[in-house]
Amino acid sequence: MPDATAVAPAAASWRPVDTGDTTVAVAQRSALGTTARLAVWPPENIGPAIALVDDVLSSLDLQASRFRPDSEISWVHRAHGGLFMLSDGLAEAVRVALAAAAWTGGLADPTVGAALISLGYDRDFAAIDPGGREPVPAPLPAPGWQSVRLDGPLLRLPAGVLLDLGATAKGLGSDRAARAVQVATGNRGGVLVSLGGDIAIGGTPPAGGWPVLVADGPGPAQPVRLARGGVATSSVTCRQWRRAGRAVHHIVDPRTGLPADGPWQAVSVTAATCADANAAATAAVVAGDQAEQWLTGAGLPARLVDHGGGVRYTGGWPEGEGGLLPLPADSHVYRGAGPRGGAR
Amino acid sequence: MNPDREDRGGRVPLPGFGDRAPGDPAPGGSAPGGPAPGDPGPGDWGSRRQAAPDRRDGIRHARRMSNWTLAALIAGTGAATVALAHQAFPTATAAGTTAATTGAGTTATAHGASGPQVGHSVATTSGSGVTVTTTTHTVKGKTVVTHVRHVPAYHDN
Repeated sequence: MPDATAVAPAAASWRPVDTGDTTVAVAQRSALGTTARLAVWPPENIGPAIALVDDVLSSLDLQASRFRPDSEISWVHRAHGGLFMLSDGLAEAVRVALAAAAWTGGLADPTVGAALISLGYDRDFAAIDPGGREPVPAPLPAPGWQSVRLDGPLLRLPAGVLLDLGATAKGLGSDRAARAVQVATGNRGGVLVSLGGDIAIGGTPPAGGWPVLVADGPGPAQPVRLARGGVATSSVTCRQWRRAGRAVHHIVDPRTGLPADGPWQAVSVTAATCADANAAATAAVVAGDQAEQWLTGAGLPARLVDHGGGVRYTGGWPEGEGGLLPLPADSHVYRGAGPRGGAR
Repeated sequence: MNPDREDRGGRVPLPGFGDRAPGDPAPGGSAPGGPAPGDPGPGDWGSRRQAAPDRRDGIRHARRMSNWTLAALIAGTGAATVALAHQAFPTATAAGTTAATTGAGTTATAHGASGPQVGHSVATTSGSGVTVTTTTHTVKGKTVVTHVRHVPAYHDN
């Protein structure tokens, strides 16, 4: 573990968050177009942990951001198909995305890149005209994750296929960051990393688990506790913009190429890892009426909020306040992909 | 995921090795090209035959063990298992550990043995980007907990 006083320059953008507990240190910054939050115990671990998380986030951004012209995935896309030797980090990100697609039966498919761009999500969300009047183009169903081949670091991408790793990348980032801090601290203490509400933990959790809130849905946020694995939420109420007067959002049904229009406004899932939870939450939104059936089959505890504000719980997700999130089965997206979040 | 790269469990025979794994004894006692390390040499076969009566004697000796001895061994093993389980259970639950059984039949256990007590939420899972900050103040001797919701201008989930 580096010296606690040695904080990387990038850490300057972090600001402390006073939660009322002195036994943990919490900090927050903007990252990857969203908010990154970090919590550690003992509190003196916060300095080095911030430096490690910064390193993970900047690496992930350079590897997988569609919106950075200098990112590795943008370099791949500019070639319009072919065979590419990827960095370990992007290879892991693509491998996890393809594993998630296989696990979810294609509900969370990384080949929706072209569909998202055709809907207008072709730049950082902050730069999108929210009231765009351009006509909605003909839908572009995803070509399918099976069209992409990854053999170790070698990626074969057909011409015209564009990848969007949005269903897994933030979960992967949280997993990587939590793992990096856990390894650096030698398991002395605990860490929680949240990227846009996709939460991974490492080390030893506080007594009874990390207290977190589930904010989507009617009424006040639901307090729960997370002692193992990860938790993530996908929602169609964020990242909305308009196209020809119609509201569109960023969770695309790969089968149609159009924004998912199922009954759920938000789905929260807890899983063995944050990337699993991230993929499953997106898959559940896309699955629509079949979401509960799919989640039950996958053995995943979940909280689903419909457009009317009704809340449903599956798989043992606690219905009360402060309940411990159940421990789900082993990871699906990291199976055969090496250590969880092991690449940087 | 490339379906051609699905994890293939089990042993894959290598050319020239038939169905044997390295180190497995070869039919006839030796691998092609000479005896494998650890294979008995010809002289060992003789000693095996020599040892056979002794082994049979040992079996007979074992069979002569009293049923009472066998029963005592079983009872002793069972008692030791119960004692170990009894010691292990309070260790796992004594130090603030909580457990919950899920609908799926799994059990989540929070090992809070060395973690601190944390009373306030440290993060929010939210697709809408809402974060909730919890602050605690003491007003006239009473603890007041305030939850403030923050809705960002934009957010990516």
